[in-house]
Amino acid sequence: MRARYSLYLFTVPALLVIGLFFVHPIILTFDMSLTNFAGIGEAKDVGWRNYERIFGRDRYLREIWLTLWYTVIVVSALTVTGLFFAAMLHRLPLIRNFSRAALYTPAMMSFVVVGYVWQFLYSPLNGGINVALRDLGLGAWEQNWLGDPAIALYSVAFTQIWMFTGFTCAIFLAGFAGIPEEIGEAGRLEGATSWQRFRYLELPLLGPSITVSVMLTTIGTLKTFELPFILTKGGPDGATRLLSIDIIDNLFGQYKFGFASALSIVMLVIVLIVAFIQNKVLRDREQA
Amino acid sequence: MEKPMTSILGLALAAGLSPAAAGAQTVLDVVAWKGNEAEPAGMPELIAKFEAENPDIDVDLTFVARKDVDKVIPPRLQGGNPPDVTMVDSSLVDLWGGAGFLTDLGTDSDWYGQMIPAVRDVMTSDGEILVYPLEVIGMGNFVNMDLLAQAGIDNAPVTIDELKSACQALAAEGIAPMIFAGGFPAMLYVGANGLDPNGVSAAEYGSGERTFVDDENFNTSLDSVRDLVEAECFDPKLQAGLDPWATAPQEFRSGNVAILPQGAWNIGNFSSVEGLNFQFAPMPSRFTEHGLALDLVGPGWAIPRDAANAEAARKWIDFFTEEENLNVFLEAEGAYSPFTGGVSTMPDLAEPYTAARDAGSLILWPFSTLEFPKILQSEWEDSITGFLLNIDADNEETLERWDYAVEDSM
Amino acid sequence: MSLSETATAHSATSLDWDLIRRRGKSVFAHGIVLGLVGVMLLPLIYMVMMSFKTSTEIAQDPLGLPNTLYWGNYMEALASMGYVRSVINSMGITVSVILVVVFAGAMAAYPLARLENRISRVIVMVMALGLATPNFVTITPIYVIFRDLGLLDSYLGIVLAFAALKLPLAVFFYTSFIAAIPIELEEAARLDNCNNWQVFWHVIRPLLAPVTATLSLFVMIMVWNDFIYPLLLLTDKDKLTVMIAVYKFVGNTGIDPTKLFPAAVLGSIPLLIMFAVFQRKIMAGATAGAVK
Repeated sequence: MRARYSLYLFTVPALLVIGLFFVHPIILTFDMSLTNFAGIGEAKDVGWRNYERIFGRDRYLREIWLTLWYTVIVVSALTVTGLFFAAMLHRLPLIRNFSRAALYTPAMMSFVVVGYVWQFLYSPLNGGINVALRDLGLGAWEQNWLGDPAIALYSVAFTQIWMFTGFTCAIFLAGFAGIPEEIGEAGRLEGATSWQRFRYLELPLLGPSITVSVMLTTIGTLKTFELPFILTKGGPDGATRLLSIDIIDNLFGQYKFGFASALSIVMLVIVLIVAFIQNKVLRDREQA
Repeated sequence: MEKPMTSILGLALAAGLSPAAAGAQTVLDVVAWKGNEAEPAGMPELIAKFEAENPDIDVDLTFVARKDVDKVIPPRLQGGNPPDVTMVDSSLVDLWGGAGFLTDLGTDSDWYGQMIPAVRDVMTSDGEILVYPLEVIGMGNFVNMDLLAQAGIDNAPVTIDELKSACQALAAEGIAPMIFAGGFPAMLYVGANGLDPNGVSAAEYGSGERTFVDDENFNTSLDSVRDLVEAECFDPKLQAGLDPWATAPQEFRSGNVAILPQGAWNIGNFSSVEGLNFQFAPMPSRFTEHGLALDLVGPGWAIPRDAANAEAARKWIDFFTEEENLNVFLEAEGAYSPFTGGVSTMPDLAEPYTAARDAGSLILWPFSTLEFPKILQSEWEDSITGFLLNIDADNEETLERWDYAVEDSM
Repeated sequence: MSLSETATAHSATSLDWDLIRRRGKSVFAHGIVLGLVGVMLLPLIYMVMMSFKTSTEIAQDPLGLPNTLYWGNYMEALASMGYVRSVINSMGITVSVILVVVFAGAMAAYPLARLENRISRVIVMVMALGLATPNFVTITPIYVIFRDLGLLDSYLGIVLAFAALKLPLAVFFYTSFIAAIPIELEEAARLDNCNNWQVFWHVIRPLLAPVTATLSLFVMIMVWNDFIYPLLLLTDKDKLTVMIAVYKFVGNTGIDPTKLFPAAVLGSIPLLIMFAVFQRKIMAGATAGAVK
């Protein structure tokens, strides 16, 4: 039994690093969230005032809902597209490696570059998408992709989905790689269709990959600010202002580090709650 | 016991590592958001010249974009390991200087006496000057003269009536007249028509002394935006989808649109496009027949309190006090000198703007002088976009938000 | 059982017909998937096309192929990027970070996946905290720690900083996948008197190859593309990464596609090559592991 506990020695390096670089800063951040710190110089204690402001105003509650909704869209789409491509590529070994690499290329670009490329694609006047629609005779479908408050959020989400489909696909392919050959073989011999094999044989065995993929994309999307920041800066008029955008704006646009810290803590708590629930649900599913 | 030990160790390490102790070159660590490939600002030339004049100093210029300066430099200032010289703008002077991280450059210097008085007033606080200002840069309309000529117009519009008739003529020719994105171009127009150069000072709004919602000037300013829409200058709904910093300049560069309100820092970039014949003109404003020049108080150099090579840093700043050196920077930037006297380095294509300036038809952009609080800027971006999306709504809905923002900043 | 009977009967009677149908289906499936992958690549193709155009061409004909391959943009970008040096730096830093993260992460995850008790749950929670922390929160503390350790402006420092940043991801990743490895495999080794380390190294580690491949790819792109850490921690020009060189083409007030996009393409090509090499190597390792 002692030998088993000595296993924990393995975690020491990781724990040290995480304690030093994450737990310690979070404590500092929490401290800061009770002040009016401006990012530099002296800070004055303001008690819970920052938090009262967050929960006392519609603006921030709206942003929290918007962030959650954005996350739901992005994560469900990423899971479906990732699973689709992974399942197909699992069956098509000839093009598997090429396609995995190709799908993954968008995620290899930096956010800055992806953001600006899509900025040019979405531009309402001579942007790539509208011009393509015009050329195809679909001029009626032209949209003000980032400028129409009703669709801007979905345009941003689409870019995020485009960028990270290869990411979830890679996770699921790793999961497929762990499924013993014999299982697929057996299914085929039983005359199961491709869909049946996927639904009843493979999907249940992909439990760990689904957990990893859903949790990572959820956490990543809840925290994300890069694409909305470059594409819309939270606009038009707040239509895409996620909680993270407001944090960045408070930090670096207005130098309200104290308030931004309080927002960060709120975000951290949201991420932890969501992650906790997901973990519970997904692990139970795995076991079932 | 532990503290002194570590600091002694630190000192020993620092002494061992510092090039000065080794009797070698001083490396001057300069951080700036100019001098990169996108905005060279004459830096390569200036650095070469400075190093030739100061053979014992090597300049190591690190480019950090303005928005990343907020992330990267405060840790260094607070960690006691700042760059020797850092670029700052008025809000950074306010923030870093206010926290005591910048060195007073002294009000007894020659250059201090020569600063344009309005700029000097903005930059000086409590009898201290923490920044050596490099430029005052114009904001106004970039006008594609060839497109205007196609519509039979020879001069860049500088009054609202001229602007409206230009728009109508251009639209009749099937040319998109103007970009008016809420994120920046529209702000320039709204500001130029709300802030009376001879009337209420911007500080009165910024301090909450005067509210926007009851202000006649700003109400009229928003009304006149509707007149521009009427004159077919732009489709207000379309503007929200344009990025004022990326796609909007690209539309102008490629000759798809005749008029773009932007800053003079684009002059160099636009000039590099073959066959683009443009002028830089002041913003049409109902307060003046010359058009209103909107001058932005630009960045300057500051020496952090804990700079390791403060003496070399001084030399760097002294180098820029030489008019001929500063002019290299100004010419590359398309900017005006923050000092009185001296020759203008502005290109001819900025003649309309310079003329308005010379006629005294000029305001300092209140966001760059901190007369308007920083938070109001993002509120302007958002709310003017909102106004354009819903242009028939009451002015009050937009103006009230500005008042709340001002209130919030206090 | 009846299912398999009918299946064999079926294939015995109309084998040819079935084969043709399956072939056709397979070609069709390949076509569909390749087509979709192609669509996904369109925006990147668009970017590469823009990088070869002159300013005027871009907006006059945003979708068309460039009239001529205009290499001028690339020449200008190359001239000022310090390309070879910065690419070598980026590669060195990226590979080192991957090694550290993979090693420390897998090691930490092993006990967390195997010992299901309160201690593990607490540690996992602490790790999750690391995943959930917004990155900018950690900037100042990291700077101060590295200054005090004398690790500023050193390769070691930047590698450790990135490794710290990505470690929670690795632990999380490995914990999930190790938990899925049947415990019986280990028990056999333990009966042979292997100690914890030997079990980990000889039994668990080989099974982690596919997961490691995936994780390494994630870490690779994140490290490669980050420019805040190098800006913060490195000052020596000779140590800077290739993304910093790309970053110099982004303006404060907007971008010029003829400048940024060629630089971005140049900045990403080595990553693509690394990815291809890596994918092949790791996949080979993965199948080797499976055969054993």
